[in-house]
Amino acid sequence: MPVIGIPVDLLLERVQTQPGRQELVEHLQHLGCDVEGYATMRRFACGRCGNLMEITETENPPVVCDRCGTDFKTSPDQLSAAGEKDVVRMELLAVRPDMFDPGGLARTLRNYFKETLDTPSYPSSASDFSVSVEPGLEQRPYIACAVVRNLKLDDDKIRVIMKLQENLHWALGRDRKRASIGVYDLDTLQGKRFRYTSVAPEELQFAPLGYSAEEKWTPARVLAEHTKGTAYARLIKDHPRYPILFDENNQVMALIPIINSEATKVSKNSTNFFIDVTGLEERIVNKTLNTIVTSMLELDPGARLETVRIDSASGAQVTPDLTPQQAVLNPVTAASRIGVPLDKDGVIECLRRMGHEVSQRADGNLDVKIPAYRNDILHEVDLIEDVAIAYGYHNIVPTLVPTLTVGSEQPLETAGASARAALTGLGYLEVLTLILSNEAAQYDLLGRPREDRHVVIQLPISQDQTMVRVSLLPGLLDTLSVNTDHELPQRIFEIGNISLLDDSETGASEHRRLAAAAIGPRVDFAQMRATCEALLREFGWKLETRASQDPAFLSGRGAEVWGHRGEQSVRLGLLGEIHPQWLEHYGLGHPAAAFELHFDLLSQPQS
Amino acid sequence: MHVNELEYVLLNFLRDNPQEITVGDLAAQLGKDQSQVSAACISRPEWIDVREEERLSLRLGKKAQPFVEQGFPERKIIQALDQLGGQGDLNAVAEKAGLTSQDVGQSLRFLKSKGWAEQQAKNLILSAQGKAAIGGSGADEELVKALEKGEQEASHLPQASEGLKLLQGRSGVVEERPRTLRWVKLSEAGKSAVQDGIEVRTQVNQLTHEMMISGDWKNVDFRPYDVSLGTEAVYPGKEHPFVSIIQQTRKVFLELGFEETVSPYVESSFWDFDALFQPQDHPARDMQDTFYISKPSECKLPRQQWVDEVGATHRNGGRTGSLGWRYDWNDQLIKQPVLRTHTTASSIRALAENPNPPRKVFCVGPVFRRETVDYKHLPVFHQVDGIIIDEKASFASLLGTLQAFYRKMGFQKFQFRPAFFPYTEPSVEIFVWSDRKEDWVEMGGAGVFRPEVTEPFGCKVPVLAWGLGLERLAMFRYELGSIGELYRARLNWLKETPLCR
Repeated sequence: MPVIGIPVDLLLERVQTQPGRQELVEHLQHLGCDVEGYATMRRFACGRCGNLMEITETENPPVVCDRCGTDFKTSPDQLSAAGEKDVVRMELLAVRPDMFDPGGLARTLRNYFKETLDTPSYPSSASDFSVSVEPGLEQRPYIACAVVRNLKLDDDKIRVIMKLQENLHWALGRDRKRASIGVYDLDTLQGKRFRYTSVAPEELQFAPLGYSAEEKWTPARVLAEHTKGTAYARLIKDHPRYPILFDENNQVMALIPIINSEATKVSKNSTNFFIDVTGLEERIVNKTLNTIVTSMLELDPGARLETVRIDSASGAQVTPDLTPQQAVLNPVTAASRIGVPLDKDGVIECLRRMGHEVSQRADGNLDVKIPAYRNDILHEVDLIEDVAIAYGYHNIVPTLVPTLTVGSEQPLETAGASARAALTGLGYLEVLTLILSNEAAQYDLLGRPREDRHVVIQLPISQDQTMVRVSLLPGLLDTLSVNTDHELPQRIFEIGNISLLDDSETGASEHRRLAAAAIGPRVDFAQMRATCEALLREFGWKLETRASQDPAFLSGRGAEVWGHRGEQSVRLGLLGEIHPQWLEHYGLGHPAAAFELHFDLLSQPQS
Repeated sequence: MHVNELEYVLLNFLRDNPQEITVGDLAAQLGKDQSQVSAACISRPEWIDVREEERLSLRLGKKAQPFVEQGFPERKIIQALDQLGGQGDLNAVAEKAGLTSQDVGQSLRFLKSKGWAEQQAKNLILSAQGKAAIGGSGADEELVKALEKGEQEASHLPQASEGLKLLQGRSGVVEERPRTLRWVKLSEAGKSAVQDGIEVRTQVNQLTHEMMISGDWKNVDFRPYDVSLGTEAVYPGKEHPFVSIIQQTRKVFLELGFEETVSPYVESSFWDFDALFQPQDHPARDMQDTFYISKPSECKLPRQQWVDEVGATHRNGGRTGSLGWRYDWNDQLIKQPVLRTHTTASSIRALAENPNPPRKVFCVGPVFRRETVDYKHLPVFHQVDGIIIDEKASFASLLGTLQAFYRKMGFQKFQFRPAFFPYTEPSVEIFVWSDRKEDWVEMGGAGVFRPEVTEPFGCKVPVLAWGLGLERLAMFRYELGSIGELYRARLNWLKETPLCR
């Protein structure tokens, strides 16, 4: 989860309540933020695009600009120190992108602290800007835009907007795939009628952000050479034409969703902005626009919002659409689902403290208007959680469900406890070994032919773990191999599952196995057989051992384990002295013997 | 009565010599080692009365030699003074007495304390008392002389007390040695025991089968051991420490009235993700985080009705009253097999099989994540998942259940913080206080299943659910440096880790 540093001064100048440092952390935790603590960040500025970057005390200065992609290793003169900033660091709460920046977070806190119980509102007027969406944009069909005027910026606020943009790309945009954001200096744009269209890779040239206006790059070159191009090429390169945004004069605003043009770059002196969000899902595109625009408006009370008309084949639309989402909540259900003594007024106050607008209905239910920047309310239960958070998890009195139920355990576990008692009584130590293994260990290192009944992992992390084990024995020998310095004899066992392919619903099932091994100067077949017999006896079986040719064991010293019980005769597993060839593989210098049993068969109740 | 050989001669001697005798004398009389005789007397307190007397003995110390050979210097000085006519210059006195001026200087305080002479400026003047003392001998001088023969009891020396007083300030001339003198005699019980007859018995080390058969064990004594000595370490066969934690976890939920369930390690994406309302583009489903399986290549789908209901819920909320995720839900992706990423797959299967309240179900087992191995992470770890399906269930009773579990696992302080999971609402993360870390440590996530999760399976009542990591409990309890220590374990660690914590 990415971590964000909210500048403490920017946050606290936007709320009246001035909590102490620890108090602020607790409030944020109560709201669900995973707070790491306070930190003083060192800042660096990119000389090419003006971007401010922050590092913690333990991090190294940036090597590349995260906005324009300038490489500071090749151009070290472009990087300069830009002071320090006190921040409160927290993991991004992915479901609440409206709390990713100081403006949005302060908005939440003002309601939470009851400084106001009114829902934040953002009046807008219609601009005369429009964007026409031209055919051929199947790879990225949706666009939503807005104009923000009269927003005074400084280095800090520019950084806030850039960082918010980046974090929204992560949280809502799934790394720009579902949604990506562009912010432009409105005063660099010409005309009012912009075009969202597509171009061939070599069709035109423009100077991407961070390069002087004289530099001319084709979209193909941006994808091949620009750091942002190589990072995001995968999103568009499989399509013959790339999405692009033009102003009325055919000036490139952005190669979407890769990089803006240098010509439309936002600077400290910009006051009027054009914002676009493009993407694959209309709902996400609109929510993303709502989030970034309202957070920008929170930065400066003097800023004004204007809407933009989007003309597409399916008709005209005006964005951003800040109409609140409507929902109905039953306050009695809310209180009982949370399990707290809240009456209707209490529920209403909790909802208002979470920024919702609430009105009462004649039927006792509540009409709830959810702010347009909230993206996480799918169902009444999401509002119930908001009520619970406002009430405070720390204020909820834990109880227990009053209903009586009868517990019951899995029969294999009951039997496992008996087997464990028998083997520990015989002096065996229980071990656990890894469930994921590989074919060499599971087959080759015991001389067993590779079989085709095991679960295969598609993309293993390492060659050691490519499959789910089919036998416990390799794990036991491996455990002995890391204990060669330990006194002899050693006696160990494991009760665990193996997996085999079959015709079940998921195509594979687990089977409970029990394996035991002993190593030491006087360990032999007879000793292991006696142990096996003792175990079988406890489950009512009479042991019979029949010669086996299993290559894991010394020839003539391996046996099939058969159990007889009443009318039943079942092959329960294998037993024998481990072949010295495999002992050698595992670096074991003494005789060892082992057995492995089908514990699910062994532990069946007697009929 | 049976006694050993030493006791036999000792008791007989004491019977024949009824007067109290010191252990030293007794040993000398018997011709035995004094410490053995002493131990034998003390070991039979019912028969032998032992009276202890604190004694002081005196002997010449390391600095006594000059006093023995040359006498006391102050005596030489008064003789010299007498020869000088009753007084004289310090240097002249020294010369006359055959002493160094340093010796004379050190003797001044004794001349004064004995009243033999006084110093006036550089002159020493012999007193009447001093003159009288010439030719005599002081108690200190007598004492040194007496001790020339060797160490002696202070009580045997009449001049001891006066002599010691005079020798104060002359350390190392006479040493004082306090010691305990033991007097022994037969007690009344001892007398009658010896009267009744005592028999000597042999001592043996080991009781043998032959002694038992012959009854000879009755005629021997067993040599007592030094029971304070250490012995070689032995260890019982034991369950694995992490198995202890799993068993304790199971016990807690069984005690709370839960039925235990299991589900397959290889799981369809349907049960691992879709049935839990995880959208198909959710990052948790990424190949980077989840082990997808190439064999088996495909899972079968469960009941078509469940698939349809789940699909509709993803697309537009279906019948649940939710908006749904509003995307093009793909009913082929749900067949992809994965190694289950959480035991919540077991919970949702249990719920689907029987959604009728009241039910409490739990599952303990391994889960699989495509994590890079480090001290805190292995690609396999264990979870306990549980659900409560109950009309009366509330978020507060979820918190209470979690608290009950962690109390029983030995934790005292808890914090509940809001969290986000796609399948629960409200959602919570539980933190426990660690004294060792002096911080809150996250233990697991929980919540009330969303209607989008329960209603497709026909469940309309609240369902409380949680998935809690167990390795973290082991790291705490056994103070492990790395989770890897649980597997490929060192046998030493298994042996040394106590069953009871």
